[in-house]
Amino acid sequence: MLSISGLKVDIAGSRILSGIDLAVEPGELVCLIGRNGAGKTTTFRSIMGYRKPVAGSIRFAGKELIGRAPHEIAQMGVGFSPEESEVYADLTVAENLELPTWTRRSKMSEKDRVERSLTVFPKLRQYLHRGGAQLSGGERKMVSVARALALDPSLLLLDEPFEGLSPAIIPVISEGIASIRAMGQAVLMAESNVHHLPDYVDRLYVLERGEMIFSGTLAEAYRDKAVMRVIAGEVELEHT
Amino acid sequence: MTVFLDVLLGGVFHAAILFLVAAGLQLVFGVQKVINLACGSFYALGAYFGITAVGLASAAGFPAWTVLPVLILAGLAIGLVGLPVERILRTVYRRDESYQLLLTFGLLLMFQDVFRFFWGATPRTLDNAYLAYGTAEFMGLRVPTYNLLVIAASIAIAVALGAFLQKTRTGRIIRATAENRDMSEGLGVNSSRVFAAVFTVGCMLGTVGGALVVPASASSLEMAVELVVEAFAVVVIGGLGSMRGALAGALIVGLIRAAAIMVLPEAEILSIYLVVIAVLILRPAGLFGKAMA
Repeated sequence: MLSISGLKVDIAGSRILSGIDLAVEPGELVCLIGRNGAGKTTTFRSIMGYRKPVAGSIRFAGKELIGRAPHEIAQMGVGFSPEESEVYADLTVAENLELPTWTRRSKMSEKDRVERSLTVFPKLRQYLHRGGAQLSGGERKMVSVARALALDPSLLLLDEPFEGLSPAIIPVISEGIASIRAMGQAVLMAESNVHHLPDYVDRLYVLERGEMIFSGTLAEAYRDKAVMRVIAGEVELEHT
Repeated sequence: MTVFLDVLLGGVFHAAILFLVAAGLQLVFGVQKVINLACGSFYALGAYFGITAVGLASAAGFPAWTVLPVLILAGLAIGLVGLPVERILRTVYRRDESYQLLLTFGLLLMFQDVFRFFWGATPRTLDNAYLAYGTAEFMGLRVPTYNLLVIAASIAIAVALGAFLQKTRTGRIIRATAENRDMSEGLGVNSSRVFAAVFTVGCMLGTVGGALVVPASASSLEMAVELVVEAFAVVVIGGLGSMRGALAGALIVGLIRAAAIMVLPEAEILSIYLVVIAVLILRPAGLFGKAMA
């Protein structure tokens, strides 16, 4: 459903992605892993149309995404939860969740779409009328993921959903993502910490300095020493 | 007492008009982050077009009491000029503020020539319409009913605008886009369309304000620049981007101006800007503004 080939992206004259390939099939949970600065966010922002690649192709549901505006890509069915959550402070939690139901029509009713998002993170029910500014980091992350799901997307992009969260909240987010996957939802998720990867990941890609150095299953990645040096190295650094 | 009431009513009438223009300025700044100096031109455009519309309406045999609705409709209709103007502004949204100020200032000057071309250099008035609604007795003071109607219309527009932004889907999408344009795009909001709509509504607030003022004062080539000077005082006093600030600022400026005209007419602008300077020193973000880093 999503297939990226030969994607090259420059930012301010430097090459950030040097010809990467990546694919997500329907119902798959695919993880893009790499250190900070490897190019994960740039990949996501290119898929969403925020970045104009210099070469390559990003095809989604049979159509080329490059050259389309972000709102068109969202309306085609790509749900995006950015690394910084970007929950609207000026809107309530309920309004945050409803917004994508107003911009994209789908077979599900608006109410069902919000309801489905709330079943993923039931805790949000308590905060529905709270303003976006009055939430903790973990709560904002839940709203951000739930909001992307309320778009009723065919593909969900989650950029580092565990980044910067307290260890206590990580299992809640992880369970939420597990239940999203159980719905048959295709997910592409970025992560810098291999130990945060849920064991139900179908496939993973490893990105290092703008190049894709590995593609395969989690078990294969654990056997590959070069890959483990890249993706587990940072974990040790973080714990020192 | 009568003098006090006179100042109060005159000030609130002027504040009602100023609020409309300043609300347009705030709305556009809040969403597009552009300080629109051309808001004064929209105000003047509404005034000139209002006079033409009332002239046409009375020639077509409309009764005198239709002046107010005709002016409001004329203001709304000519406010559509916001759509093409927004197309021009689009080129500078992501550029430095100085480009935006230069461009909107250029528009302000260009509009002045447009007015001269269509309506000539001599001020235009609409005297006979002013008393179409007669006068009302207000605590021993006779005031034109028209002034009270304009104050009521401005309050109604303020309430409607607030309800629209807070309670409707479109209003929430506008607020979301104002806060984070990129995220809204990523959630399927066509922000270019939101910008065009918001700018047009902002423009309409200015043109309606201008149309409503003409029964009480003449339309002239200077009115655009004069209003920009006052609208800026309103925005600085109230706080950039805040609707409540626009309301408070408009009341303060309107009342100070009315008092100055009564006591010392030469000091009209001076007295307003003394308050502006005081606010800038004591509360740089304005009464209702968020402090900027």
